[in-house]
Amino acid sequence: MNKYLLFRGWASYVLPSLLYFLVLFCVPNSFAQSVPVSGTVYDAQGALPGVNVSVKNTTTATFTDGNGAFQISATPEDTLVFSSVGYVTVTTQVGLQTTLKIIMQPDETTLEEVLVNAGYYKVKDKERTGSIAKITAKDIENQPVTNVLGTMQGRMAGVNITQSSGIAGSGFDIKIRGQNSLRTDGNAPLYIIDGVPYAAEAIGVGYTATVMPVPTSPLSNFNPADIESIEILKDADATAIYGSRGANGVVLLTTKKGAAGKTKFSLNMQRGLAKVTRFADFMSTEQYLEMRREAFANDGVITYPANAYDVNGTWDQNRNTNWQKTLTGGTAQITNIQTALSGGSALTQFLISGNYSKETTVFPGDFNYQKGNVRVNLNHTSDNKRFKTTFAAGYTAQDNNQPAKDYTTESKMLAPNAPALYNEEGNLNWENSTFNNPLRILEGDFLAKTSDLVSNLGLSYELLPNLVVKSNFGFTDLRHQESSSQPSTIYDPAWQVGPQYSLISQGNTTRQSWIFEPQLNYTQKFANDLSLDVLIGGTFQSQNGNQQVYRASGFTSNALINNLAAASNIMVDIDDQSEYKYQAFFGRANLNWKNKYILNLTGRRDGSSRFGPGKQFANFGAVGAAWLFAEETYLANSIISFGKLRASYGITGSDQIGNYQFLDTYSTGGNYEGIIGLLPTRLLNNNFAWETNRKFEIALEMGFLKDKIFLTLASFNNKSSNQLVGKPLPGTTGFTSIQANLNAIVQNSGIETTLRTINIENKNFSWSTNFNATVLENKLLAFPDLVASTYRNQFAIGSPLNIIKMYHFEGVNPETGLYQFKDVNGDGKITADADKTALVDLNPKFYGGLQNQISFKNWQFEFLFQFVKQKQINAAAIGIPGTMSNQSTELLDRWQKPGDQAIHQRLTSGLDAAAISAQTNYYSSNANVTDASFIRLKNIALSYNLPKNWLRGNSCKITFEGQNLLLFTPYKGADPEFMNVNSLPPLKIITARIQLIF
Amino acid sequence: MKSKIKLQKSFRSKANTVKVLLLSLFFLNGACADFVEVEVPTNQLSAPLIFENNTTATAALVAIYAKIRDNGMLTGNPTGMQAKLGEYADELTFYGTGAQIEASFYNNILLPNNQVVQTWWNSTYNQIYATNALLEGVEKSKALTAVEKNQLEGEVLFIRAFLHFNLTNTYGAIPYITSTNYRTNTVIGKTPTKEIYEKIEDDLILSEALLRDEYTSTERTRPNKATMQALLARVYLYGGKWAMAANSASAVLNKESLYQDESDFNTLFLKENKSHIWQLKPANQGGNTLEASTFVFLQGPPPGVALSTDLVNSFEAGDKRRTNWVKEVTNGTDTWYHAFKYKLYDTTAGSVQYSIVFRTAELYLIRAEARARQGELISAIEDLNKIRNKAGLINTTATTQEQIVTAVLKERRNELFTEGHRFFDLKRTHLLNEILPFTKPGWDNNDQVLPLPETELLLNPNLKPQNTGY
Repeated sequence: MNKYLLFRGWASYVLPSLLYFLVLFCVPNSFAQSVPVSGTVYDAQGALPGVNVSVKNTTTATFTDGNGAFQISATPEDTLVFSSVGYVTVTTQVGLQTTLKIIMQPDETTLEEVLVNAGYYKVKDKERTGSIAKITAKDIENQPVTNVLGTMQGRMAGVNITQSSGIAGSGFDIKIRGQNSLRTDGNAPLYIIDGVPYAAEAIGVGYTATVMPVPTSPLSNFNPADIESIEILKDADATAIYGSRGANGVVLLTTKKGAAGKTKFSLNMQRGLAKVTRFADFMSTEQYLEMRREAFANDGVITYPANAYDVNGTWDQNRNTNWQKTLTGGTAQITNIQTALSGGSALTQFLISGNYSKETTVFPGDFNYQKGNVRVNLNHTSDNKRFKTTFAAGYTAQDNNQPAKDYTTESKMLAPNAPALYNEEGNLNWENSTFNNPLRILEGDFLAKTSDLVSNLGLSYELLPNLVVKSNFGFTDLRHQESSSQPSTIYDPAWQVGPQYSLISQGNTTRQSWIFEPQLNYTQKFANDLSLDVLIGGTFQSQNGNQQVYRASGFTSNALINNLAAASNIMVDIDDQSEYKYQAFFGRANLNWKNKYILNLTGRRDGSSRFGPGKQFANFGAVGAAWLFAEETYLANSIISFGKLRASYGITGSDQIGNYQFLDTYSTGGNYEGIIGLLPTRLLNNNFAWETNRKFEIALEMGFLKDKIFLTLASFNNKSSNQLVGKPLPGTTGFTSIQANLNAIVQNSGIETTLRTINIENKNFSWSTNFNATVLENKLLAFPDLVASTYRNQFAIGSPLNIIKMYHFEGVNPETGLYQFKDVNGDGKITADADKTALVDLNPKFYGGLQNQISFKNWQFEFLFQFVKQKQINAAAIGIPGTMSNQSTELLDRWQKPGDQAIHQRLTSGLDAAAISAQTNYYSSNANVTDASFIRLKNIALSYNLPKNWLRGNSCKITFEGQNLLLFTPYKGADPEFMNVNSLPPLKIITARIQLIF
Repeated sequence: MKSKIKLQKSFRSKANTVKVLLLSLFFLNGACADFVEVEVPTNQLSAPLIFENNTTATAALVAIYAKIRDNGMLTGNPTGMQAKLGEYADELTFYGTGAQIEASFYNNILLPNNQVVQTWWNSTYNQIYATNALLEGVEKSKALTAVEKNQLEGEVLFIRAFLHFNLTNTYGAIPYITSTNYRTNTVIGKTPTKEIYEKIEDDLILSEALLRDEYTSTERTRPNKATMQALLARVYLYGGKWAMAANSASAVLNKESLYQDESDFNTLFLKENKSHIWQLKPANQGGNTLEASTFVFLQGPPPGVALSTDLVNSFEAGDKRRTNWVKEVTNGTDTWYHAFKYKLYDTTAGSVQYSIVFRTAELYLIRAEARARQGELISAIEDLNKIRNKAGLINTTATTQEQIVTAVLKERRNELFTEGHRFFDLKRTHLLNEILPFTKPGWDNNDQVLPLPETELLLNPNLKPQNTGY
């Protein structure tokens, strides 16, 4: 136990206090008869810098330098202790030696040493009472993705991440243990980068980012290569210290820091290619024209109408273009260059890095997404080691240029015999005004420029040996501008539409925030059995936001479309300023008895400006406990090397309702007599408070055979209540809802498991496997007045939130050839309110990942399979089959004559009202939802380290990486990953990378 | 040794630091409630501040007119009552190909969950909320002058009465809302139509004392005393208070310096016309009326509504209104007609037409009917002929009281079509069941009132029972 505390704990916050206590009172005595001892510390790879070297039972200590060398004063009777994270501690008696050569072995049971960042404090993985998932730079570095959220996919239990679009620079949706809030915009976790909260709210609006399925998210600002670790806090024990902001989980991003030792320069160059993973199967010209002719025949049309260019002979009927390939089948080029310089002494370390990445598009045209980033990390410790400071700052600039519209839907709908894109002169071919050339879209641009600064300064000072005062200061500054243009050149020139009809929508967003968090940390050890760790602190945070959105039209020239001054009409849609202030006191008390029984209490008193007077403050807290049962003597020599049973319960909250909802104000609205009107903004209620989320978790963590097999099983149950949705009111109140705490309850319960096995491990060969899986059930337990509220078509009590109410499909009537649906209320009509009673759950049933890492001598190989069991809207179903729109080959199985048993109904050219109505209902029926489960080879990487002796101690690594390379799914509508059926699916990426370290 | 002393000294000073630190934390705790207070954002104004000056208070008032113009029952949009109640009665035929639900007014098959039924209710009460909020704000204001207060309160009381008037004629018994308190308004019960009328009259009489004869601008886009009197005439007419209806109509018509009757059909619906009492100004510079986009179509079949053949055939030969206000559209085989009072649906260099809410022609017809009902037949015929002659028609042949009343009603149909009168006229004269069954197969007696919105009854059971038949 002593050994553990003294020699393993240097990286924790416990040991320094003890050490420095000794420094204060014992230093004069221990200098008595000492002699200088020097030496070098090595590991299997060579000299090992940054190893803590100390004289046992004294305060004398130092670190090895960049060459692994150290010098220390000791007497021959002294014992020297060498410790470093991830290595087995070495002790040796000085004796008569004055030069030492120490070899350190990697620690097999790494769990003992692994520190997990819990935000305000760090905790040894072994001793943590909360539920925290973690990935590190090692997992991130082999993934060729530009968004940090993308690197977590499939790797963390309880964390479901989906990409919103395959377009470069687009966002990700993350849900930690399901959807808690009824408001779809109230489920974002709290993001903290190096201790600084980062607002995740969208920075754009839909119509300034027309190419993206969701408004622009600021989270693409983080550069994955800068991240040292990502921790996700999931249960009450871990999140309650974030109080009102912890309900949806907390994502902690920690950036890389410099290490003591020789100055290192690293260069990382990556080049690669990306393509769409999968296309839906659509008809060829032959199949398509047959469908069209049949549709006209069904409608009794013998002479094809003048506008049926595809079948009436206007267009060449022998052309056959796969438009999905032509318009979205390009190859995007990916380039990524990362450089870093790092190093430092035992007391001061630094890291400076720069990054540039560029990704072109799979669409036609010259578009690209560029991202540049610089980052500085500095750490300094004073000579007496009592004063410590860290400074980190990162600046990211993004420049995204994409076509104004996503081609995905249009590429499916175009007739396969549609004309050529260019005419003989090389101009856009409009085929005598019969062809709405898809390349017209390239005339319009989506342009986005974002710059973002995140910086923080941490200061800590050891007031007393067991009392540290700390303070964290942070500042963020984000500036974003995006626009989407629609110049008149997107129209057929025959229409003679001039630049006076050109339009542009433009948005500017800025966001600044600062945070100040003073803290006190007190540690005390009672006898040998009980230790206490207490943290108290406060938070002061302020965030200012500005958003302006304009729409401008009527330009004198299309060349001036990005200049608002050249527009004859400018309409200001949004001019919004907001201020968010947040203040809190938090604390944590951790009691550890014999390293066997651990009790962790966390609490926070929170105040947010988003609530009205008297409701601003609330208390949150949690209790977590752990029993490390493998430490019990009766399990001492069993195969169980680690055993922990932990449980936690607590309350967290959410204040994600936007600002100023409690104010009695008037807002601008309506223009009358040239006066901009002022209207009551809302029904006044300043009496609402936090959404609360009660989380319970119980978990078992077990290691067998020296942790070679390590299993975690966790069961959780979270209930969100006091939901801040508009509480439904009768219209006589003047409004249909009021911002209030609605007594609706949403439950998320589930089981998470992770399994890590070290299958083979010897000098030259090792193989380890990581597995994680999550089963989640989301359920709306209560919702007062649901049937009377505007939510009645969206939710059902006892069902998950993410359901769709649909018609019950009953197949194709063999006589009429029409789709049939169940007439639930038996009124002889199919009506939405009465007959949409089939509840389709679009939540994943379970999801997870399986990762294998194999290394053989200098070769490393790893791959990750991601799996999801889910249902999804069939993205291949589109338009009215038989009209001038291509169809999925599924439509080949269709009704053609009475008596046919077919999957799809009879075709219509657009004249058969009954067929159109049945088709519309079909899209709103459960038949349009298909199994979209998948297993995907998410990531694969093969790397080779050039032998060190070739490179004189420098290192060079070559890696081949692949993302999304294989996909196994029964889904018919292209890629099954995401909900946005009309956007570009995720891309598969192959890259080669060379990494040099000098 | 020296270093030890130094260390101990610093140790003591550290202990003090701890005390200072804890103390400052204590003070921070006290300051925290202030820290999370935020200023009202620049794009909103705190409610009490609105009533600190007449400019912002007026902006709050005109916003209600913008709402009335754009949403709810009085809007000229296809979902406003000029179109929907025209379809519901016998003025308009619905041709839209959209979902069946859009045709349910025309087919007289309204369900309590009908979107328009709900939107009218919610938008109108939302507009009523804005009037009450304004009344409460003005009343509390110490900064506004008495003159300013009178103008604001006078207009707002008028609007509140007008909104309730349309509601009760459509839905029957409804709550009369006079406060912004959502707690009482959530559980409020229905007031019978008769009492609603009393409350409307009370509001209007209060308003009469506050409003002035002069308009606030030359454009007649905000109501004045005559507007309020015009509504009062309508309210009395609907309520069968003939003498008072005639008097109120006269009160307006006697203001000859303000209102003149013009017979030139080229200028009659232009915004400058002197026969207009109150008109709603379009939102945009150069904008014209929403009614024009709702009623005018260029080719057939019509995308929305067309005038019913019954209405088109009801004009007498030589009626200028038939030639000027009804336009024919044909595709060679079929012919359709659309209302053409409002002709401009696009923007023009300057606005040409505004949406008229009250005009003198209605008041002549109100007075004609009210006089006839009281037996003042000669003066009734005089008023009626005024309208007929203007339309290029010869004097009426009606002589008896009954004939005159019937003639006035027919004249109303031809004069006021697509201005939101027809359904109410048939209803107040108990003619719905006499006339509609012949042209509207879906019509039944219960259709005289619209259903109360379904969600409304679910959220406020005090509004039960549902109107008969739904």
